[in-house]
Amino acid sequence: MKNSILKDKEFSLLSKLILIGLWAFLSHVIDREVILPSIKSTIMSLIDIIKDPYFLNVIFHSLLRGLLGFLFSLVLAIGLGILSFFSKFIYSLMVPVLNFLSSIPTMAIIILALIWLNHELVPMFVGFIMVFPILYESVLKGILNVDKKIMEMAKLYKVDRVNIVKDIYIPSIFINLSSVLTSAININLKMVIAGEVLSQPKFGIGSNLQMEKMYLNTSGVFAWIIIILVISKILGYVGIVLRKIIKEEKWK
Amino acid sequence: MKYYIRNIYKSYGSLRVLDNISIDFKKNKTTCILGPSGCGKTTLLNIIAGIIEKDAGEVLGFENEDISFVFQEDRLIEWKNVRDNMAFVLKKKMNKKEIEVTIDRFLSLVNLKEYKYYYPRNLSGGMRQRISILRAFAYPSNILIMDEPFKSLDISNKKIVLDFFKELRSLEKRTCILVTHDMDEALDLGDTIVILSDKPTRVKRVIENPYMESGVEEDKIKLRKEIEAELMG
Repeated sequence: MKNSILKDKEFSLLSKLILIGLWAFLSHVIDREVILPSIKSTIMSLIDIIKDPYFLNVIFHSLLRGLLGFLFSLVLAIGLGILSFFSKFIYSLMVPVLNFLSSIPTMAIIILALIWLNHELVPMFVGFIMVFPILYESVLKGILNVDKKIMEMAKLYKVDRVNIVKDIYIPSIFINLSSVLTSAININLKMVIAGEVLSQPKFGIGSNLQMEKMYLNTSGVFAWIIIILVISKILGYVGIVLRKIIKEEKWK
Repeated sequence: MKYYIRNIYKSYGSLRVLDNISIDFKKNKTTCILGPSGCGKTTLLNIIAGIIEKDAGEVLGFENEDISFVFQEDRLIEWKNVRDNMAFVLKKKMNKKEIEVTIDRFLSLVNLKEYKYYYPRNLSGGMRQRISILRAFAYPSNILIMDEPFKSLDISNKKIVLDFFKELRSLEKRTCILVTHDMDEALDLGDTIVILSDKPTRVKRVIENPYMESGVEEDKIKLRKEIEAELMG
């Protein structure tokens, strides 16, 4: 097992090295910074971006939008998930909403959001639109997965509804949510950045990406992509930690 | 308080499951309901507990009583430790301080205090079922209903859990109703043994178990033969 993990890590490193090698080779062959920048110029742009006094502010604003949008999606998904379980009416009401959200092109929603909302809210709204259905379905699944025999036990012991929700449904929801948490956090971040590209809030990774594109500074775009990858990786670890907290003995 | 059922009838569609069942349950004694698998024993328990409706008959004494339950499976909540699993059923009955005192008292009573913060996944099948039985005794009630609680245990665990139940029962008096298809369990635990027939289920015979009083092995052997004959007939 340990050997196979080691081998997987070796292959992963090898694959990354191949990609970087391919990038270096292609940028050398193409030899046009606007189309494919060199590794060197990308690193230079990366240093410039990081040195910028507003860099942390930009990252902070994008993360804050991501966090607020995600929390809003999470709270709404839990609330509506629980209500849908107890009320057939709300469940039926949610079915077309979810079908609509999953079948409509994301771009169409972003355009509508640009018309309806101010620039600060668009990225959060776009993240919400993508993440809410995932979280809502996970919440509903968590409730439906509750062991019927445990519920029967609770009923026979006359445990009141509040405690059943608090001690059985909510933990079951979070245990189920933990399996989609990492992917949902990352999808949310991607969508927030996409929203920023189009809505151009004052501070935001997406706004900067758009700016680099406008100046045809492709190395700047690549540098921002690297920054996004790093943030994504960090958020992935945050997701793993949250998952561990949820799955392990933290439910009292 | 007297607990009894009178002339209970229950059918599922055209299939008559329970046919005129009447049983008296003696206070603070264990009544074993013994019958072949699938004869409707669990249906009868569910009627007594008020989970399912009877077609006819009377269930008396149980209406406003709190009842403890032990099931075939332990039904412990996986994300709660032993303490919290017990507290879960006690919350409506006691305040926080009383809950702590009750849990500590019952865990100490059977020398399981060291397991207080164990999670079900870290306990063996036998230990899980012991906690489930302990939870039932910790719950303030006069009646304990047990639906084949030893069925899913292997032989060695079964002996341990049976002894555990006997120990608790001697320390904490309850009116126990135990459903089983295992003659040895009935002989070991039942002050009264109610033998049920196969479907449509009727009470074949009610036997007082002299072994429970005397502890003489011969009484048990004699009664075993009687029950065997009854079940064969």
